[in-house]
Amino acid sequence: MKRFFLFVFFLTIVLAADAQKYMTKNGYIGFFSHTPMEDIKADNNQVVGAIDIATGELVFQALIKSFHFDRALMEEHFNENYMESDKFPKSVFKGKITNLASVDFTKPGSYDVTVEGDLTIHDVTNKISAKGTIEVVSGGINANSKFKIVPEYYKIAIPGVVRDKIDKDLTVTVAMKYTPVATK
Amino acid sequence: MKLYVKIALFVVLFIAFSGILAALIMFNKKHTDTAKAKPDFVVTAIVLQKEFEDNEAAASARYINKIIEVTGSIVSITRSDTTNTNISLKTGNDMSSVICASRSIVDPSKFNAGEEITLRGECSGFLMDVLLKNCAVLVKRK
Repeated sequence: MKRFFLFVFFLTIVLAADAQKYMTKNGYIGFFSHTPMEDIKADNNQVVGAIDIATGELVFQALIKSFHFDRALMEEHFNENYMESDKFPKSVFKGKITNLASVDFTKPGSYDVTVEGDLTIHDVTNKISAKGTIEVVSGGINANSKFKIVPEYYKIAIPGVVRDKIDKDLTVTVAMKYTPVATK
Repeated sequence: MKLYVKIALFVVLFIAFSGILAALIMFNKKHTDTAKAKPDFVVTAIVLQKEFEDNEAAASARYINKIIEVTGSIVSITRSDTTNTNISLKTGNDMSSVICASRSIVDPSKFNAGEEITLRGECSGFLMDVLLKNCAVLVKRK
């Protein structure tokens, strides 16, 4: 509840400022694991993401339970055994574009960026750095990135029996289509 | 072959077979068919969002993992990729809605902002909005 008000408070500040902030509530984060035994894919299309083009700050928030797996049993195991989503329902990333100067937000086009920040999964926070692109399009900004994470770094215990079926490092895909935060 | 050996062999085979069958059924388990499942709660988007906004912990305990039938007016429709469609429903708070993710919507252009709709899905929780997944469209009214 407090967090919600903080978010609203944050948004109010955003609203008060000029159109430097962009956000989406329909962002995408997915991960993919490939092993000779099995390919596993999960998609989350309900990610909240915000970007401040003046400072280069980025925030993502996702509910673990919003990840969709094709196999219901896998989704169940993911939530109950690995991510413990009842105990740790959210995953958060807070970071910054380190080469903001190389992006011209006034000129449509695709720009390569590096983002650094803190990724919290399963109540464990790690510093990560990822390469991605910022695409300036008419009416908004698209952000895309692909990077790898190792489940064990987030204290996600994967039993030996199934360890061979899950890649040592998972490929995470981020795709955001931001629109300007409406100024009133 | 002695009779008891036959029986023992039959029992062992039967157990092994049922084990494999059970494992296969579990492995291929389908997601809950929300179009047919009995809802645990029937609410309006306004009430559902308000409950989460007023007391997130209590609402989480009450609704998460439950099947919810929610009715509201469509604010926006977002086709996120080729299979997922998010339908946002209007609530009493302009900055917070009920977002229903569905993979069963074939043609999102059939839905328009302002229309009244009823969906049934599983509640995943609350970020800035109440999020439902695996939603099925039940009724659409102009």
